Amino acid sequence: MPKRRDILAIVLIVLPWTLLITVWHQNAIAPLLAIRKDDGTETRHETGVATDSKEYCSQDKDIVEVVRTEYVYTRPPPWSDVLPTIHVITPTYSRPVQKAELTRLANTFLHVPNLHWILVEDSQRRTPLVTRLLREMGLNYTHLNVETPRNYKLRGDTRDPRIPRGTMQRNLALRWLRETFNSNSSQAGIVYFADDDNTYSLELFEEMRSTRKVSVWPVAFVGGLRYESPKVNAAGKVYGWKTVFDPHRPFAIDMAGFAINLRLILFKPQAYFKLRGVKGGYQESSLLRELVTLNDLEPKAANCTKILVWHTRTEKPVLVNEGKKGFTDPNVEI
Amino acid sequence: MGCCNAFSWVECIISVFYPSRLQRQQVTMRMRLKLKTVFVMYFMVSFLGLIYALMQLGGQRCDCSDQELSKDQQIAQLKGELQKTQEHIKTSELNKKTDIPRIYVITPTYARLVQKAELTRLSHTFLHVPQLHWIVVEDAPDPTQLVSDFLSASGLSFTHLHKLTPVDRKLQENDPSWLKPRGAEQRNEGLRWLREMGAAAKGKEVAALEEAVVYFADDDNTYSLQLFEEMRYTYRVSVWPVGLVGGMKFERPVVEDGKVVRFHTGWRPNRPFAMDMAGFAVSLRSVLTNPEALFDGNAQMGFLESSFLQHLVTIDDLEPKADLCSKVLVWHTRTEKPKMKREDALQKQGLGSDPDVEV
Repeated sequence: MPKRRDILAIVLIVLPWTLLITVWHQNAIAPLLAIRKDDGTETRHETGVATDSKEYCSQDKDIVEVVRTEYVYTRPPPWSDVLPTIHVITPTYSRPVQKAELTRLANTFLHVPNLHWILVEDSQRRTPLVTRLLREMGLNYTHLNVETPRNYKLRGDTRDPRIPRGTMQRNLALRWLRETFNSNSSQAGIVYFADDDNTYSLELFEEMRSTRKVSVWPVAFVGGLRYESPKVNAAGKVYGWKTVFDPHRPFAIDMAGFAINLRLILFKPQAYFKLRGVKGGYQESSLLRELVTLNDLEPKAANCTKILVWHTRTEKPVLVNEGKKGFTDPNVEI
Repeated sequence: MGCCNAFSWVECIISVFYPSRLQRQQVTMRMRLKLKTVFVMYFMVSFLGLIYALMQLGGQRCDCSDQELSKDQQIAQLKGELQKTQEHIKTSELNKKTDIPRIYVITPTYARLVQKAELTRLSHTFLHVPQLHWIVVEDAPDPTQLVSDFLSASGLSFTHLHKLTPVDRKLQENDPSWLKPRGAEQRNEGLRWLREMGAAAKGKEVAALEEAVVYFADDDNTYSLQLFEEMRYTYRVSVWPVGLVGGMKFERPVVEDGKVVRFHTGWRPNRPFAMDMAGFAVSLRSVLTNPEALFDGNAQMGFLESSFLQHLVTIDDLEPKADLCSKVLVWHTRTEKPKMKREDALQKQGLGSDPDVEV
């Protein structure tokens, strides 16, 4: 009898503790969901509340910078775990309007949830102007650089359509994406090429988020027309291109007129923009023909009837009054 | 010491201290009772703890990431997320801040190909600025559908006005941009609306208007967000540098001992106020107390700003901002006119692009 009582006592003591331990052990395996402290009542002059560090390291440390997500002034919108990330690749180069262009582009991007900005400079080294701008903006970014060799650069200011600008920079960004994300990862992503002087509506980013392979839409002010657009038939499939300039190109579309699913980029690691021997207007085709056929294109923007992106170009400012020696203080950044 | 075999070790220890059997029994009885209560309490406590832990676990979201959500569920979930984030943008917490001075931005605009694009990217900047009210004045006889639809969808607090420039003052198609001052009538219309509102204001609104600031923003310039915070606290007229204007990298007022003494510009620095429209902001108080202050549409080239400012302030009273006018926070960018050669050719053939598609 006492033995049984003893045993009963021992069981009664030990049982709750074992249950407790099992419960907490399970808890430790399934981690608590990350709580992003986005304090909406913060005033403007306080710096970011939550700092989430996502380190994207690559073998080639010279070209990759640590990506940080910092929330300043509660912008950009909180990162969602459900929305696919839009990786925006922007090549840029130094000229007087660069800071202005990047500023207003960033002001647009700060409204888009789950946006990752890959800014690639056409320079030998990452410039302090761009570095500082990216840091202050608060966007989720990656800062890369590669210099286009002189014989591929535009001669002076004349636009020579035989030499595509920004190609090496876009290719570098594609390579970075392939090195950072492996095809087995479940991270949904969309890749979009955005030049720094175009104008993008916020609706555009939501349209491209549902891209399965490659999605397309009209672009304003390209090809000497009000807008260029893909031709969509009644079944919702793209069968041609509504352009005047060489509509028989495999993909008669501007760089700003399409977006690619990240999975497709990773699945076809050999697909890059062709650098040499590309005819004017064929640069986009040089990449897209390795990824997809006309049949697989997904028309967006209400079956390609709405304009959500404009191919604006900024005038080159006339700096006649600077003179030979420069009139203004060179230390002031513009 | 054979008792240790029959009973618990506690009783062993008791037997050491209480050799008498009766005492032992009494003590053991008490101890047993005490032990019982201890046991019961202990059991209760651990049981409650277990319940608490289970509730904690049950209250959390289960880790459903491994489960395959059906496609419809995913779509519904994504749509819900999208809705939430869009709400977040539109009903921005920025407008909850009512204790800071309001900025009234007057933007003259006119119909041309890039108009919608310019207004779009401008609105993206303004959406980040708290307590901003956008006054858009069209150079048109009536408000246009494009601008009306655009403003309603923008998510900004706005006023839509219109004022047609008289034909003799209007720039013709091939005139260079500097030939005649542009936007004077539209800005004056904006000022008129502000004065009307100021006269009709009552109660708390009057106090809010006392602190407000007026800024003239053209639709093709580029504005950084810091600029609006610099101009927000203006007593009379505040000034700062402007980039890419006057044929130079930037123009700026020259500040000595915290006061503006002259203007650093490569073109006609002897104007009363050698500044660009984007380089100053005026307090609403100054606008309301000086009803005669207007832009002179007939002013000489480059004197448009001076024609307005000379009614309000002298150069000594200017308030320098942007780190005593050493930082460039606004750029006088200009957008190229898109080439429409092919479009024009098609239109001649009657094959122009669908005019119903708004660009």
